[in-house]
Amino acid sequence: MAEETRARASWDFSLMVATVGLLGALGLQSLLGTLYAWWAYRTVPGWEQTGYAGFIDVMNAIAAPVVIALIVVMGLCVPKRMFARKALMGVSAGMIAAGVTVGAVSGSLATGLAVYLALSALIQVAVVVLTLAGAGGLTYITEGRVAKAGSGMLHLGFIIFALVVVGMQDSSLMMPAFMLSGVLLTGGSAMSFYARGR
Amino acid sequence: MLTPASITADLDGVLRTLASLGRVLDIAILGACIGVLLLAAVPRLRQHLKAATGVLAVTLAVGEVVLVWFHLRLWQICQLVDPLTGQVSGSYAVPLWIESEKLFVWALLVAAIAFGVRRHEDDLRPMLAVAAVALATGAVLLGKPFTEPLPDFFAQYSSYLAAWGSGSADMAYQAFRGAEASRLYYYNAWYMWVHPPLLFLSYGAFVASFAATLLMIVRKRSSYEQTAYRWARFGYLPLTLGMVVGMPWAIIAWSGDAWWWSGKVNMSLMMWVMYTAYLHSRLYLRRRGMWRVVALIAVLSFVALVLTYVTTYLVPGAHSVA
Repeated sequence: MAEETRARASWDFSLMVATVGLLGALGLQSLLGTLYAWWAYRTVPGWEQTGYAGFIDVMNAIAAPVVIALIVVMGLCVPKRMFARKALMGVSAGMIAAGVTVGAVSGSLATGLAVYLALSALIQVAVVVLTLAGAGGLTYITEGRVAKAGSGMLHLGFIIFALVVVGMQDSSLMMPAFMLSGVLLTGGSAMSFYARGR
Repeated sequence: MLTPASITADLDGVLRTLASLGRVLDIAILGACIGVLLLAAVPRLRQHLKAATGVLAVTLAVGEVVLVWFHLRLWQICQLVDPLTGQVSGSYAVPLWIESEKLFVWALLVAAIAFGVRRHEDDLRPMLAVAAVALATGAVLLGKPFTEPLPDFFAQYSSYLAAWGSGSADMAYQAFRGAEASRLYYYNAWYMWVHPPLLFLSYGAFVASFAATLLMIVRKRSSYEQTAYRWARFGYLPLTLGMVVGMPWAIIAWSGDAWWWSGKVNMSLMMWVMYTAYLHSRLYLRRRGMWRVVALIAVLSFVALVLTYVTTYLVPGAHSVA
């Protein structure tokens, strides 16, 4: 039992380090991209007309693997609330396999990611509902039902936001889904951070 | 009947009154800044620092009231008239936190926080008061909200009035279309009344968080870390909300423009991910040596905030005045 708890804590910590590292990488890319744009505006006449589109393509190409990794890590964070360690590995592997399979069959990375995110969102909805209902068996680093529900909503908001970016850009549901992610992100932040004593 | 000449005459009167009030206010604000600096610098006099910070905050608040009056007068005077039909399309509801007034609002917020701070007030207030002085001095000497107000707004509106009065229907209509687009999608946009104040609120909280982080690094006391965290979590909510409401507006207002990955958007993203990383990493603060990592991320997050602010003025792009 103690070993299981230690293993889970270590797994949680590894996921946190990975999340922080990926966020840091995205931040570094933003900084370097801005410095490049600053340099280009100053040295290349008419760069906004001639070079900006290429710049966006390069930035997208660099950001894509980082964002994909972030989505995968986020997807692993979600089921850890519900499943025991062995089951967690199985569920996580199953979700990745489902995403990869759909991506390979459809020939679209975005579709594969969208499926993976949709599965994550479904599990996270269950987590939020069970947390609000006060069901036992869910594991959190944070204490208190409000903070736990907030944490769940925050993760769900991230997932829906990623789903909007990855798979709903041309959908008529894009704006409502985006606003929903905004409500979940801000509401989840408020509940998660403000409900804690320290 | 509205004419370019009648509007210009009314505006000149308002601008003269604003400048007259502003000269007095500038002196009062700079005087309050000098007083705060003196009291912050001399430890024996620090018992009066709270009062001096309160005076600075009140002086800035009076300045803000004057700016509210000025913006109300702009709403009454600055009308846009379609030169083809002669119909008034509307007035300008210019937000109170744009162009030359940005630093002023930020200074007011930080001064209010410096006055009201309670936890670790003896250590935090001098640092926050000095930050408020730096911002207020910058607002008065660089922003010049009373003597050179809203330069971009007046540049466009004056051009519109000149084109309207020129007698050239084509020129007048072109100027009207440009001004009307700015009015609808920028000055009068609901988003401009929500997005900037939320971000300034978060910036004010992050200044306090940064000051507490520096204290933690220097004095190595965990209670400073808790204070830094409390201010950061207070700032993270309006930051997230402010950025979230930005995206739908950007999609609509900048449709067809190159705004994704523009300098300001980049740096805002960087700031947000850094503060997200900070709040995330703090969950494991009790691990051995983790406080150093958390402190480093907190410092980098604040550096990202400063870079985000100055990017507006340095890097050209859709979200910039460079």
